[in-house]
Amino acid sequence: MTSRANLAWLLASLLVTIAVVFFWQWIANTGYVSRVFLPGPDRAFAALMRDYNSGKLFTEMGETVLRMVVGWLVASIVGIALGAAIGISPLARTWIAPTLELIRPLPASAIAPVAIVFLGMTDNMILLLVAFGSVWPMLLTTIHGFSNVHPRLDEVARVMRLNTFERVYKIALPAAMPDILGGLRLGLTIALILAVVGEMITVQGGLGSRILLAARAFRAPDIFAGVIMLGLIGLVTNVALTALERRLLRWQPAPAH
Amino acid sequence: MTATLHRLDRKLANTPPASAKTKGKPLISLKGVGLTFGSNEVLRDIDVEIGEGEFVCVIGPSGCGKTTLLRILSGLIQASRGTVSYRGKEQREPASDIAIVFQDYANALLPWRTASQNVSLALEAAGMPRAERRDRIAELLSKVGLSKHADKFPSEMSGGMQQRLQIARCLAQNPSVILMDEPFGALDAMTRQKLQDEILSIVSESNVTAFFVTHDLEEAIYLGDRVIALEPNPGRIAELIDVPLARPRNQLTTREEPEFLALRRKLFDFVLRYE
Repeated sequence: MTSRANLAWLLASLLVTIAVVFFWQWIANTGYVSRVFLPGPDRAFAALMRDYNSGKLFTEMGETVLRMVVGWLVASIVGIALGAAIGISPLARTWIAPTLELIRPLPASAIAPVAIVFLGMTDNMILLLVAFGSVWPMLLTTIHGFSNVHPRLDEVARVMRLNTFERVYKIALPAAMPDILGGLRLGLTIALILAVVGEMITVQGGLGSRILLAARAFRAPDIFAGVIMLGLIGLVTNVALTALERRLLRWQPAPAH
Repeated sequence: MTATLHRLDRKLANTPPASAKTKGKPLISLKGVGLTFGSNEVLRDIDVEIGEGEFVCVIGPSGCGKTTLLRILSGLIQASRGTVSYRGKEQREPASDIAIVFQDYANALLPWRTASQNVSLALEAAGMPRAERRDRIAELLSKVGLSKHADKFPSEMSGGMQQRLQIARCLAQNPSVILMDEPFGALDAMTRQKLQDEILSIVSESNVTAFFVTHDLEEAIYLGDRVIALEPNPGRIAELIDVPLARPRNQLTTREEPEFLALRRKLFDFVLRYE
């Protein structure tokens, strides 16, 4: 596809966004929904600008992003390491997999009370919640990727007499990378959700607390400003991951259109 | 039945009877090798010796265990009966100086590594320091005519180029033996002929021993010093055939020689029996 065609698509999608914002403004202006509950984009934007000028906006956003990213990173390391161990060893698969299947379906939010008992209403409790919830996609995709390495590559590794570490690092890990990246992306989405949930439970600052407090005080523009910021975080992290994916998977043939 | 056929074949080929023995000390020797998977007997009583620098081709109808025999030689799988020895020692696992060229080059190459990085894998495995790798990689890629494509990923290369790359990676192992499993089976005729000549010159240059499995009878005669004909159910050696054609071989003249044509006829008759 040419860059000109790409640009046209980008413009078209931007137009859709603008149309949605205008529609939102129109609904708000008609007054069908009370101004208490539905602010127009103008008032939400004004709330954003006010917090931007006071510096509060980026502090709150920073807190949420930090929790999301740290929890996600911990989950990634644990998920990939554990997934690799389970993926390469049939023994580990038979021993550990049933336990994992038991824990996996638990809703992460159900873990929150347990986490609070041990860690209190703290930052660490939020991190535990985020890490617990986002580890699963990483773990499962890594197991899948590792156990699906083409048998021929296994033979190549044996013929070249690679040791176990080299087999993991040079063959299995890159072979599983497309799967793992999918898991990382899914995990990041979950991490953002749980960071906000954790902040709403603990009220330890961040966009989650902000939205909760604004809702209790009926400050609808502040709620919407918070939601807009969350949307932006999601958008930016997704773009960053897509760029990472392109870089790491540039060896893959371009998909046919 | 086989005894009468053997006599007939010999008359046709007009060559002295080939033997399972090779001149001098054998590099690889198989004695009474057999393999059974569950109730399925794949190979039975394989006795053959392969000398250093020899080019041995294996043919036979599908299901005769050609590829399995290659895998046993490589040490990737173990025979259920008999012994496989390499340099006088029993072959229990892959040796670092035995390389394999697989038929499915697309699966055997690392798709996330460029051509030069794929060659590098074998050098890394051998523990060659990074500084020395670069020159060696360049040398190997130029040997197979891929110098201009060093930074391409396998997905950006044609089938012939990918198979050349796999051959370069095998050469990076500095092998004494190259085992090839229908390496040119998936390539078009022109590319195949080119690669046949390349493999012949590589083998004669470096005095490598080659064990070449193919279903292309002419290819077996064109390349080999000896051809092992396997018969199926279970896979056994039907015959060992010497190829008395002069080297270096030539795609046009060698293929027109009466001995070539006689051997070709003989092998076709052999394979047709199992169709």
